[in-house]
Amino acid sequence: MTNQEIVTLYPKIFSPLWKRSPLKIFFSLLIFSYLIFSIKYFNISVTELLNGLNKMKPILLSMVTWNDFLSWNFNSILVGILQTLAMAFLGTFAASVISIPLGLLASRQVTKINLFRFIVRRILDFIRGVDILIWALIFVRAFGLGPLSGVLAIFVADTGTLSKLYSEAADNSDNKQIEGLVSSGSTKLSTIRFGLMPQVVPIFISQSLYFFESNSRSAVILGIVGAGGIGLQLSERMKAQYWDQAFFIIIIILIMVALIDKLSRFLREKLIND
Amino acid sequence: MNKITSDNHYKNLIGKKRFWNLSLIILIFIGVILSSKIIDINVSNLLNGMPRLGDYVSQILPSIESNKLFLGSKDQGSIAYWYFNLPKYLKLLFETFNMALLATIVGSTLALFLSFLAAKNTSPNSLLFFSIRRILEFFRGVPEIIFAILFVWVLGIGPLAGIIAMTLHTTGSLGKLFSEVHENSNNKPIEALKASGGNWLSEMKFGLLPQVLPNLISYALLRFEINIRASTILGFVGAGGIGQELYLVINFNYYEEVSAIILLIILTVISIDLLSGYLRKNITRIEND
Amino acid sequence: MKPLRIKNLKKKFKDTVAINNINLEVEQGKITGIIGRSGSGKSTLLRMINRLIEPTEGSIEFNGIIITDIRGKALRRWRSECAMIFQQFNLVDRLDVLTNVLIGSLGRSYSFLNLFGYFSKEEKINALKNLDRFELAEKSLQRSGTLSGGQQQRVAIARALMQKPKILLADEPISSLDPKNSKKVMDDMLKINREDGITIICNLHSLEIAKKYCDRLIGLSEGEVVFDGKPNQLTADIAKKLYDLDDE
Repeated sequence: MTNQEIVTLYPKIFSPLWKRSPLKIFFSLLIFSYLIFSIKYFNISVTELLNGLNKMKPILLSMVTWNDFLSWNFNSILVGILQTLAMAFLGTFAASVISIPLGLLASRQVTKINLFRFIVRRILDFIRGVDILIWALIFVRAFGLGPLSGVLAIFVADTGTLSKLYSEAADNSDNKQIEGLVSSGSTKLSTIRFGLMPQVVPIFISQSLYFFESNSRSAVILGIVGAGGIGLQLSERMKAQYWDQAFFIIIIILIMVALIDKLSRFLREKLIND
Repeated sequence: MNKITSDNHYKNLIGKKRFWNLSLIILIFIGVILSSKIIDINVSNLLNGMPRLGDYVSQILPSIESNKLFLGSKDQGSIAYWYFNLPKYLKLLFETFNMALLATIVGSTLALFLSFLAAKNTSPNSLLFFSIRRILEFFRGVPEIIFAILFVWVLGIGPLAGIIAMTLHTTGSLGKLFSEVHENSNNKPIEALKASGGNWLSEMKFGLLPQVLPNLISYALLRFEINIRASTILGFVGAGGIGQELYLVINFNYYEEVSAIILLIILTVISIDLLSGYLRKNITRIEND
Repeated sequence: MKPLRIKNLKKKFKDTVAINNINLEVEQGKITGIIGRSGSGKSTLLRMINRLIEPTEGSIEFNGIIITDIRGKALRRWRSECAMIFQQFNLVDRLDVLTNVLIGSLGRSYSFLNLFGYFSKEEKINALKNLDRFELAEKSLQRSGTLSGGQQQRVAIARALMQKPKILLADEPISSLDPKNSKKVMDDMLKINREDGITIICNLHSLEIAKKYCDRLIGLSEGEVVFDGKPNQLTADIAKKLYDLDDE
């Protein structure tokens, strides 16, 4: 075959790019023009960014020079870490407890009435739509500053998500065990207790552990709006420009989170293997 | 004989399970007691707080009256009265949306480039692998709002600080997730490219990227959902978006505006979740077209 | 003429010796089959020629260049002259057949534009001609993952041809194919050997096919050459020794 024959035999391959993959070109152009738009929209200027970077230099420098290290208030940092962990633990615990009935109510294994289940689920969706920090801010307003508001924020935010996950776990449970109990004439409650719960409780615990893990991350920032914990210590030091201490706290937080990760992973693996 | 040992074994198993269950319950119990001590919570201050919470909730809920529902913004009890500030909210919501979108686009692009260096099987150099990994872990570990405080300090109040903060966090988390996807990819096409004399860039572009792209896009969309949520609160520290307004109305007790804004946020978050969930489900089909 | 010379080649993986002191010269334009049971070091030997695996000791020379010493650009140039096909075809399933073939040209002539999926008209014509030789040009816009195993391996051969190779290494090219497709792939390899004069070194598991297609056979056992000769010199006795070591 000559070259010309090949070109005429497979016109699609030799047509221009925009004809061969119009979608690709369209999306590339879309993203490109969006970037142009956002530079205009947010007034992003290179000089401003460079100025900002220049201002960063001394901050970064002071983050790593710990001159008066021994005089820092380590006690308040320790208390902050403990508070954060306690908030995460209590919040997760309370949310897990309330999520058991809520999750079951939202599951089709338990609630056969579609409308009721629909309503419970939409309420849970609503709760999940609000970020945990917004909850914290509201509770600080209602209860005052302090870790109690943080616990409640975690409690409410997690109830939204955990109940949903619990209900999905219940949905996915094995029907045969439940049918067996129903056919032998057991009551609704004992069917749930002996047919459903043994199947789902390990999943519930594993998910709660996972949430404790992720809450120990989110509890870190609750202090920023005054809901207690290490975040308060951190944001106060940042506001006062104690960058060295702030950086130290960030490192401590990272270590804490990594340790909780390890612990929770260990426990979850143990749980699944048993 | 056989029956007895199997019985014993069964008893052992049950005993072990009981032991585990019991120690778990005790552990949780100790945890609850200890945590309550640390943060000084007890039943009485919880009970004392409850009525105040009830008061607060009833205050922020709008005073809508069914017969005045569709009257103008001057009539108390109408939706228009509740949402008299809607144009301002919408403008801020648009800003929030754009902050999240821009941070997701830039962050996932950076993450893509770094992820090739941070995956065991594709990194050209072990020192580079190690250092990029550590950097990504740092950006992922530090919450975006902490970065936001820092950048508000450096760049001043406004959305730019929030965008940069979210971009860094996005780069960190997606960079790690992307590199894990690379590590689970099929090495054979990459080997073929290497064997034909292709350079590292073409190995990545032709050997790896086509395999992993749908997964990467799906992760980026998931991150976009997370960033939408995050961008609603960055305003608390002055980093732009609707959070700034929410912080203001909560602290100044503009009660009805609180519920008005929160409802808008919820609607935005839910609709973005639905859209992105739809895209994620259909990603391979869309890509095939 | 014997362009490829292997001298005192050795490869150790931790404690096990995969290739033990191999000395070989391979003729230009011939098909050389390497036979032996799995684990005898066939694959390791081939991969060392292409430098996918680094030898522990010894050298490999091609046309006077010691290819075990080269690095960077020179190494990539060598790899593009020394094409390779694999047991699992190693195509990119989610890319179309044409792009899979075009990829073969990247080592020979790389441009920055390739990274955006651009390939020149000449390369595309080239790729289609190569596909056409194996009756696969009509499939050029299909995803390669949708093709049968035999078709995929022939696409891989078309990709190898894009490299304009002087030598083709085939690592168990038919081990995952049925007899009918095996024959087709081997026929196609024979075709490019006879028509283009490309030297082929081919790892084969099946003795029957090796005898039918190869000009010369090399038997490997535990990393050492235990047979080297024409296919008709391979007696049943030696073949037994080569393959029945398992029964010890």
